[in-house]
Parts: sequence; C-alpha cells; structure tokens
Amino acid sequence: MISKNTPSRDPLIQRTDKGLYCPQADVYIDPWRAVPRALITHAHADHARPGSSQYHCASDSTGVIGSRLNTEHIVPHPYGESFQLNDIEITFFPAGHILGSAQIRLHDGEQTWVITGDYKRTPDPSCKAFEPVECDVLITEATFALPIYRWPSMDEIMPRIFRWWDANIRAKRTPVLLCYSLGKAQRVMTEIAARSNRGVRVHGAVATLNTHYEAAGVPLCPWERAADAPKGVSQELVIAPPQVAGSAFLKRFGPTELAMASGWMQVRGVRRRAAINQGFVISDHADWNELLETIYQSNAHTVYATHGETRVLTRFLNETTAIKATRLETAFGINQELDQ
Amino acid sequence: MNFVGLFQSLDASQSTHAKRDALIAFLEQGDAVETALAVSLLTGRKQQRTLKPAQLKQVAGVLYQETPWLFDECYQAVGDLSETLAILCADGLQEANTQDPVLSAWSDLQQQLLQIHPDALPTALYTTLQQLSRDEAFLFLKTASGGFRVGVSRGLVHDALAKVTGMSRDVIDERLMDGLTVSQDWLSDLQRPLSDAEQHARPCPFLLAHPLPDNFESTLSPSDYVVEYKWDGIRAQLIKTDQIIRLWSRGDHDITTQFPEIIEAASSWPGQWTLDGEILIVRDEGLGSFHDLQTRLNRKRVTKPLLASHPARFRAYDLLKLNGVDLREQPLIKRKAHLDTLSVEQSPWHIHHSWLAISQMRAQSRSLGAEGLMLKAQDAAYQGGRKSGVWWKWKLDPMTADLVLIYAQAGHGRRASLHTDYTLAAWSENTLVPVAKAYSGLTDDELKTIDRWIKAHTTDKFGPVRQVEAELVFEIGFEGIARSSRHKSGIALRFPRILRWRTDLTPTDADSLSYFNELLEVAR
Repeated sequence: MISKNTPSRDPLIQRTDKGLYCPQADVYIDPWRAVPRALITHAHADHARPGSSQYHCASDSTGVIGSRLNTEHIVPHPYGESFQLNDIEITFFPAGHILGSAQIRLHDGEQTWVITGDYKRTPDPSCKAFEPVECDVLITEATFALPIYRWPSMDEIMPRIFRWWDANIRAKRTPVLLCYSLGKAQRVMTEIAARSNRGVRVHGAVATLNTHYEAAGVPLCPWERAADAPKGVSQELVIAPPQVAGSAFLKRFGPTELAMASGWMQVRGVRRRAAINQGFVISDHADWNELLETIYQSNAHTVYATHGETRVLTRFLNETTAIKATRLETAFGINQELDQ
Repeated sequence: MNFVGLFQSLDASQSTHAKRDALIAFLEQGDAVETALAVSLLTGRKQQRTLKPAQLKQVAGVLYQETPWLFDECYQAVGDLSETLAILCADGLQEANTQDPVLSAWSDLQQQLLQIHPDALPTALYTTLQQLSRDEAFLFLKTASGGFRVGVSRGLVHDALAKVTGMSRDVIDERLMDGLTVSQDWLSDLQRPLSDAEQHARPCPFLLAHPLPDNFESTLSPSDYVVEYKWDGIRAQLIKTDQIIRLWSRGDHDITTQFPEIIEAASSWPGQWTLDGEILIVRDEGLGSFHDLQTRLNRKRVTKPLLASHPARFRAYDLLKLNGVDLREQPLIKRKAHLDTLSVEQSPWHIHHSWLAISQMRAQSRSLGAEGLMLKAQDAAYQGGRKSGVWWKWKLDPMTADLVLIYAQAGHGRRASLHTDYTLAAWSENTLVPVAKAYSGLTDDELKTIDRWIKAHTTDKFGPVRQVEAELVFEIGFEGIARSSRHKSGIALRFPRILRWRTDLTPTDADSLSYFNELLEVAR
C-alpha cells in the first residue's frame, strides 16, 4: 500500500566509516573523520568536527563554525538557496536547533533525501524557525523519541526560572544555571531579554559564543564574563556549561544553587543522579510529538532514525504507519547526553 | 503548605538540614489532618496499598491501545511506575496546588477507585490523573501504591516532630512506635504526659550498636565492656505485662503471631518485664542460619511442620523493665544482674581484661553460629537510638568471593537509567552460574564507567535485563551462606555487596561453586 514507488535507483546517502556520504555529489554530511568536502548541519561538536578541507554550511552558522573548527575553508549558503555538487542539487533549510542549524536536502532530479540534523519545532527567538521539507527519504534524529518527552512552552518555564532566581537572591545564594554553552545558553538569554531587563554573568565558553550570536543580530540580555565581575554572591544569574559543577569556577560565587536546563530533566531520577536540586525542561531537540509531526509532514516513504531512541521510533512507525523505518548507526550524540 | 508543597521542598534539596527545616515549616503551618497523614506516609507506617502496580500498568492500555509496548519503554526510561504515569497522563501545564490539604481527599478518591469495576478502573484512573498537575498525579499514585520514598528517614521526621512539639526524640520514637491516630489534635496528643500503662505496654526504642572503631585497642579499655556473641538472628523485644505478651522486631513490627512457640514459652516465665534479645532458630545440631529464620517470617499461617522443622527461641541479653520499674537508666551490669534472677534463656556474657582474650572469643564465634562479638559498656544506661560509644559490634570479617558480571539492570529512583543492579556468577565446570545479586558498594564514578561498558557490551536483552559479555570481575563480601533449593546454584548468600571492582582479574580468575561448598562446610 505504499503510495509512491520506491525508487530502484542507488540511494543518495550511504553510511561509510567516515560518516554519511553522498557518492553522486562526492560529499559527506557531518563526517566524523576528516574528508575533502563536508556539508555541516550545525556547529555542535558531534556534528562539526575539525580537519576537513571544505565545509558547506548555512550562512548563519559561518561565525560559530569558523571559530569552533578554527578554519577559513567555509562555503556559506543562505537558507533555501540551492547549489549543485556534480548532478546533485543541495539546499539548506532552517532546523530551529541553534543559530545556523540546517536540514540538508539532496535532490537528483527524481528522488529527494533530507537529513534533519538536530532540530526542534518549539519557538526559539535565537534562531530561525524549523521549516518542514517534503522528501522521499528522511534521516531524522531520535534523541527524545519517547512519549514521556513533551516540552512545556517557554511561557511556562521562564516564570519558574525567574521565581527560582529570586528565591536564591532572598536566600543569599548565587543561582547557577547549567546549560550547553552553544545554543541553550543564548536561547535562555534571548528569552530573558524578551521578558525583563535582567543581566547575567557567563562562563568564558559561553561568552565567546555570545559574541557570534550578537554579530548575527540575536538580541541577548545584558551579560558580562564571570571572570570580570566582582567575587562573592551574585544576584545575577550565572550561566555556565554543566562541566563546571564541582569545579573551581564556582568558588568565586560563594554559596551557589545549581539548576540544569535540559530535556533530560523531564525525568526525576536523572536529575537526582546528577545531584541537581532544580531542573528546567528546556530542550533544543524535537520532543515525541514534534518528531512524529515532522516525519508525517515530510511525506517520506522511508525514514532512517539516527541517535537516541531509534529503536522505539522505528518500531512505532513500522507498526502504526506505512512508512518503512530503519535504524541508522552514527557517531552523533556520543558523549552529549547531558550537555545538549 | 500541603503535602505537595512539602514534597517539592524536600525534593529540591539534598541537605539534611534544609529537609528538616522544610518538615518543621510544614508541621507548623500545615492543616492538622494533612500533617498527620503526611507523617504516617513519610515514616513508612500505614502504607496501605490501595492500587497494585498491575492495576496502574493497565492504564497503558488506555494510553496506547495498539502499541502497549510503548508504555514499557517509557517505564524503563523513567524507572518509576508512578512517575511514568504522571508524565504521560497528568496535565503538564497545570501548576500544582501547594496550599490546600490533599491527602484526605486523595485517600477518599483511592477508596472510590477501589469500588469501581476492574474493567472500568484503567479509564477512571486515567481520567483522575488527567485532572491533576504532574506532581500531584505522581504523589497521588505513590501514596496509593504504597511505595512512597522521598529521601527523608523516619529519624529525620521524628527530629522535626521533636523540635515542633518540644518533646525529646526518645519520647517521640516511643509514642509513634504504634503509628499515630489521625485527628485534629494529634500534635497536642503527642505532647501529653506519659501514663504508666503506656510506659509498660510498648517496646522501648532499641539501642543500636556501632562498628568498633579502627583504633579501639588504644582508645578503649577491654575490662569496661561486657562481651557477648553477636547472634545472626532477628533483634526483638519480648514484653510481658499482667495482661499480654508481645514480640516486637525493629522497625516497629508486631511479630507476636509469627512465633507462637516463643509466646508460649514466655507465658510460663514469671514476672512482668521487657526483654531485649534475639530470635534464633535452634536445632539439635546448633543454630540455624538466617536463611532458616527468613522462612519463618511473613507467613500467613505458621504450620506445625514448619514449627517442627524451624523451631524458634528467644535469647535475651538485656532487661529494660521489670515489674513496673524502668531499668533503662541503670548501668548495664545492674540490668544483667536483674536478668540473672529471671528464668529466661540468656545469651552468655563475659568480662575480659585483655584484647587478646576478647579476640580469642571472637575467633570462636563462627563455630558457635555467631557473626562476631558485641561489646557493651558496663556502666552505660539503655538509651534508644544509635548512641555512639555504648554498644560496639565487632563482626567477623565478611566472607568474600570473586565473581563475574553476567546480567545488569537499571536501578530505580536516583539510579534510574543507570545500570547498577548486577547479577554475578561463579564457575560450574565451564559455565557461569548466577550466585548473587548486588546493588551497592561502588562509587558513582565507577557506576558510570561500568554503565557505559555495559551498554557497549550487551549481548542480549530480556526486557530491562541486559546480558553482557563475561569480562568484568567483582569482589563481593557476604555475611553468611546457606543451601537453597530455590537458587540454580544451590546456595544463597546473605547481604552480598560489592567490595571492589577487580580490574586486575579476568573471568578465569573468578571463584567456582566448589569454593562456596567449602565455605558451607566451614559454616556448619
């Protein structure tokens, strides 16, 4: 009962030991080894790795990828503007994950494949909103492919953050929000800017990325480097990557109270195990409903699921839809569990 | 503040001090019935289970009619059934009501759910949960299914109650031993003066022992102590008043009906008293193992064959009350003298003047069926709780074995989604046979490393259980060993726990079943 004919032609994407590869265009997508030519969905370390000779990416990502990979061999492409590699037409579309994140569409005249990279559908003022793209074959992430993962809106989360922040001021403790330094930190800062005049202090890793976001025109809240601020208890929120928990970085703030912003905070046991008192469910990945909505909207007859709960997602699609779903092993998402 | 508010404060803190403050604030400000029910729940009393896990799981059918396995996947990821249902069913947008009392209404609602026809229960439960916020739904299910734990000990709750009522912790312990009666005045009732009848009818808070400190030879004087064998039985108080005989184990369990032979024996002993001692299985050839004792516990009916095959005795080592007089303030040596005047079975005791003599006594303990020694300060009063420096336990070194990890399963609660429950195996010819399950003993870092290893070396999956490559070796310690027909290996270990991760050993270095059989011989 498959409505479209399954193309008998060679697949546009294969899995090789260097990463996902399109032989027709002779290009790798988010390769995990150095290659001559790469298409990059976004700048997170498990997707953008150093050493390749040429990187194609969405224009909004140029600054971040350039600084993270320390390379000048970047070919930027505006969202929605196609270019050719050999006979393959390639187009970047916004993925809504972080600044400059992209889904990549490959089209050979007959079949269309889309690689989503990491994505989310929840509105995020720090990057362009996800655009649904139709295709024959969809390669999707599946980090949070379980129905327990449903994200609350930022209109619900932000007041909670402000309340927790204020409670810490009253208790004379420094509130420290742990979140990934690229993307999540700037997203929270943009949400703060949209709702208050408050300022924050940031870890050095966050500061570097803030400048790229501001250069791209993203309206962050006022911030300063924690290292430049006076020592002692801070009434301003401190934003830092999760690695600082238990490190010397926190010593300068006196008594601190840690919270973590992550989709994993949806589960109490995960938060307790991380020894975090307060968790805010903020994720830059698609939740269960967003994953399904994206897959259905794509009209793909074949879906490959890459990292996370791929077993659950593919089984669910195979049992409840006519879509042919398969797991695809990749190196994405490794060691990123609590970070993103 | 209501119970939900209390839970949120307790859950958002890891410091004992902050938790106690949250409890005190709740007890002082909360509605009387709410606080009474909450204390019952938090101290593990009256955990009446109204909804069984199987009934909760049926909601999966309402949620996912065509793909019920999806619920199991969620449950595995969350690690807690109530939390899984709360996430999937509750109104995630709703803010929890943290002020108005909830527990009494929940209890009524739980009773109503019980009246519903079993076929209609899943939908009714689902509808109920939909109307609650997530925290409320979680706590509603936790209180209904009887598995409520929130990281506060009974002792901490009693500390908070002592602070709020101005009573001493001992009195609170004693008064709450039977649980509490839920009423508007329960807190003021808790502060009433002690009556005589009350003094004598209830067990006293148990005096607990500490492990002997490392430097005991230089800091303690041997002749200050009464030395006894440490029996591997059930700690209990046997109470006889002019009307009743009661047997209480620690944890406030009335186990009178489980040991009719002890009650019968006690009925012929003269006087009225409270004895502290140990329940043991005693046979012709000596003491039974703890495993034997366990077969006597939690039986619906204690049958004659069981009484004949596993006869129990009460062996006393302390006398807390005698004919209406509380002896607990007297020094131990005087209580021992009073105990000598009673015709009850006593645990032998000695006073030694050298550590050498004491260690010789200790060396004999295993052959007598004891698990080491107890050293009790001669001049010390009997103060309930874990008062340091009064009673010391000097246990035998645990027996150890090197075993191979073969199965792993994710833990619960704080350890959900981390594989921390290990099944460990010994060699029998060329196959590995499971002999122990162990849950504790490793550091968080080790657990994380091993969890990663397990995920990468899984060879098969049976539901939540992962079979892994036979590669990792752990040294386990255990307190006892017994034959068991219920275990494939034919043996049952008591209190197995992981002592060390033996990264220096390979699976071929692990112990075999013949080693355990040798230990069994020695234990006999």
